[in-house]
Amino acid sequence: MDERRTAWVLIVVLIGQLVFLAIQGGRAGETRAEKVGLRLLGPLARSVAAVPRSFSGARQDMKLRGTLMDENRRLQREVATLRLQLLHLTDVEGEMLRLGEAVRYGTPPAGRIRAVDVIYIDYASWLRTLVLYTGDLPARVNQPVLSPDGLVGRVITVSGPYSKVQLITDRAASVGGMILRTRRQGVVRGGGRGSGGLELDYVPLQADVREGDRVLTAGIDGVYPRGIPVGTVVAVEGGGQLFHRVQLAPAVDFGALDQVYLLDYEAIPPKLKEASPGGRP
Amino acid sequence: MDVLKLLAGIALAALVHFVGVQLWPVLFPQAVDVLLVVVVLHALRGNSLSALFVGLFVGLIQDELTSKTFGLFGFADTIVGYVTARLAQRLVIQRPTGVLAVVSFASALQQAITVGLMFMLLSSPELPSPLWVAVKAGTCGLLGLVIYIAAGNWRRSSEARRRGRMNRLRMD
Repeated sequence: MDERRTAWVLIVVLIGQLVFLAIQGGRAGETRAEKVGLRLLGPLARSVAAVPRSFSGARQDMKLRGTLMDENRRLQREVATLRLQLLHLTDVEGEMLRLGEAVRYGTPPAGRIRAVDVIYIDYASWLRTLVLYTGDLPARVNQPVLSPDGLVGRVITVSGPYSKVQLITDRAASVGGMILRTRRQGVVRGGGRGSGGLELDYVPLQADVREGDRVLTAGIDGVYPRGIPVGTVVAVEGGGQLFHRVQLAPAVDFGALDQVYLLDYEAIPPKLKEASPGGRP
Repeated sequence: MDVLKLLAGIALAALVHFVGVQLWPVLFPQAVDVLLVVVVLHALRGNSLSALFVGLFVGLIQDELTSKTFGLFGFADTIVGYVTARLAQRLVIQRPTGVLAVVSFASALQQAITVGLMFMLLSSPELPSPLWVAVKAGTCGLLGLVIYIAAGNWRRSSEARRRGRMNRLRMD
């Protein structure tokens, strides 16, 4: 094919791609091509991720054999302490429920969690991606992803047993946040420019924000439930005329993730979603 | 046969990428782009039509490994493949250092196109740090150079072996 025809092919291909990009409008995770690609690349990523895991697993087994007795004693002590704590917390929960009933307040359902494997993570570059292997039970788009330390992100693409997650440090991600000490709400966004940090936007200048304040999810965004740790305030600046510039350090160490938890939680009950504004109850 | 070799090369590059991300999670994704090197080395053969489609295919694989809008890298790599092939038609690369320059240029071009597209599509786009853009361009150039030299040596030695076998057959 001569070069002029190739140039026309290039123009057609590029226009096609631009139309495709424009239709998506900056969103990610809703195309069939992306799902097919994830299905094809997932097994390769999973087998690569399994190799170091099995090596480190074998190394851990060797180490454990030596300290098994000590570990067992320590765990028994821990179980005893946790049992005591559980007794206390059950008592507190009962009291909370009774008080809630008295004032007719129903606490939102917390949802169940399920552990899944991380098979690919790019947390350092500006592209920021996490790919999960969820096994037989696939994840759901917008499902919250947690680690024991706090919020990781939300599922954006599901293709069979593989799911792609948008990290909260992504510039395009936003989470309804709340400062634990003052209950002041704002919007948590990725810090941008490969910083790996977070920003808490829309906190008015008159609001009381201090370094070291803990920020949790506020449960106002329709994706994440309330009370999951998001980060800690590391810097507060004057910023614009109306709002503080609040910088956060994420609660989660993204470099240490090899297993995360999917939270089965729906912010808006399905019945409410189906209900039409003019429909009968 | 060429298509199979190319597909094997792309699969190998994807494998190297996954292994690299597992071993050096901080450095690898932002400093090296093995898949782009494959696109450029293929485009250096000078077939612009094939280069643009290989660029598109590999770019979509790269899109799969990001949580950004699907198709950003597909678009960028299509242009990179085509431009590199057109460059290869006009330039005669006699020294391996020429490959270093072309691959580094291609990496910088790819990142510039991606950033431009992000500005077009998103209201507050996240941008890569300029330092890492430069590091990535340099590392990709070096990687391209190493692969180019290694492939050249391998080709020469296999050619010599083939010639040796032919000579022995003639003597027999």
